[in-house]
Amino acid sequence: MPVSKSYNLDNYAAVQEFFHSHNWTDGLPVVPPTPEAVKDLLELSKISPEHLIGIEPVRSRAITAEKLAINAVMAGCLPEHFPLVCESFSAMLKEPFLLHGATASTGGCAVLVIINGPVRKLLGMNGTFNALGSSDRATTVIGRAIRLILCNLLDARPGDADRSTLGHPGKFSFCIAEDEENTNWLPLAEERDIPHGVSAVTVMAAGSPRQIMNEWTTSPEEILDTFVAEIKSCMRHYSIWHGNYAIVIPPQLRVHFEESRWSKRNIRRYVFEHARIKRKEWSDCGKTAVVGNKGEKEYTALTDENHLLVVAAGGPAGGFGAVIPPWFGTKSKAVTQPLGLCLDCGPE
Amino acid sequence: MTIEVLDPTYDGDTISFKYAVGLENLKGATVGIISNGKKGTFHFFNALEDLLTKKYKAGEVIRVIKKNYSVPAEEEIMKEVKKWDAAIAGVGD
Repeated sequence: MPVSKSYNLDNYAAVQEFFHSHNWTDGLPVVPPTPEAVKDLLELSKISPEHLIGIEPVRSRAITAEKLAINAVMAGCLPEHFPLVCESFSAMLKEPFLLHGATASTGGCAVLVIINGPVRKLLGMNGTFNALGSSDRATTVIGRAIRLILCNLLDARPGDADRSTLGHPGKFSFCIAEDEENTNWLPLAEERDIPHGVSAVTVMAAGSPRQIMNEWTTSPEEILDTFVAEIKSCMRHYSIWHGNYAIVIPPQLRVHFEESRWSKRNIRRYVFEHARIKRKEWSDCGKTAVVGNKGEKEYTALTDENHLLVVAAGGPAGGFGAVIPPWFGTKSKAVTQPLGLCLDCGPE
Repeated sequence: MTIEVLDPTYDGDTISFKYAVGLENLKGATVGIISNGKKGTFHFFNALEDLLTKKYKAGEVIRVIKKNYSVPAEEEIMKEVKKWDAAIAGVGD
């Protein structure tokens, strides 16, 4: 049975007011985390309430499955969503992710979760229409659970441990499923060494998505030049430092790459070679004061082509795409983990 | 009928922290300042150091800078802190 402290409240409305008054929500109503609902999540995953998901290294906080389950219920998760919440948070606790820095920074990033593998279809995830918005129930509630966990277990509430100057809307929920069915590209997780057919999560400390559009060419190079222009814009306007960038490519643009036999690897290579600026370009956007005597020095968006996360997602029509910049250079690195809990997610 | 709900917050801290006993005054004291290394902190800590030595007559002001402003102070800094009478640390941007 659950071991957390419990409260008896008069009715549903009283629950909402109680949680809001304690600053335990993201401003939206929550599903009441009753002991029965929390137990259902834990039982499906066959993990005990005290099961240790990991330890937050800066504050030495032991993160247990029950606390994740309580927040997941609040976010609207069903039991079958819970293994992905656990795996995502476990990935966030890995040292390269630098969870405390990423969630406390004035830079205001959100945690982007990218789902790959058969679990997407089992849970009805949709990597097509409105992929970066609330595209489906599963990705929406999993992303929201991550945010509630950060708030309630690590005090990453606005003005508390979360010192974001602006933040961005992805902080409500930022979880997408790759559209693996409508592409011949390798899934992101497989490119990051997860075996074929295994479900996995990739977490990235991510800035807000920046939409691009180029419907006027079929050339892969020209399409990528538009993505690269946006990345270079991020380097000029935001941070010049290299890190994990993600680019999201919907079908209307993907078809041109596929017809030209461009793999994700070709894309990564092209972006690696072209997404570069010189420090003196800061002068074009009001940052002359920090150019110093290094004006001719070249900075790359990626120090390794594998730092680019290429994701196939988006609705069928529209020559759009998105660049999702890193929080701040390589301080936080994207982490990919196979789904290790007991959902039936083997190869089809 | 009431609804029973579970507490979603962290409740695992078993060690309670308490503030160190404050100094009566800073006269002759060794005061350490831990900077996160952000550029904007330098002017602020320069002014603070002036204040500590000129107005409050601190004996020595030691300045250390973390290697990475997004992670806690390194072990070496934490060892140094034990030699100080007072330490000033905080988020600067």
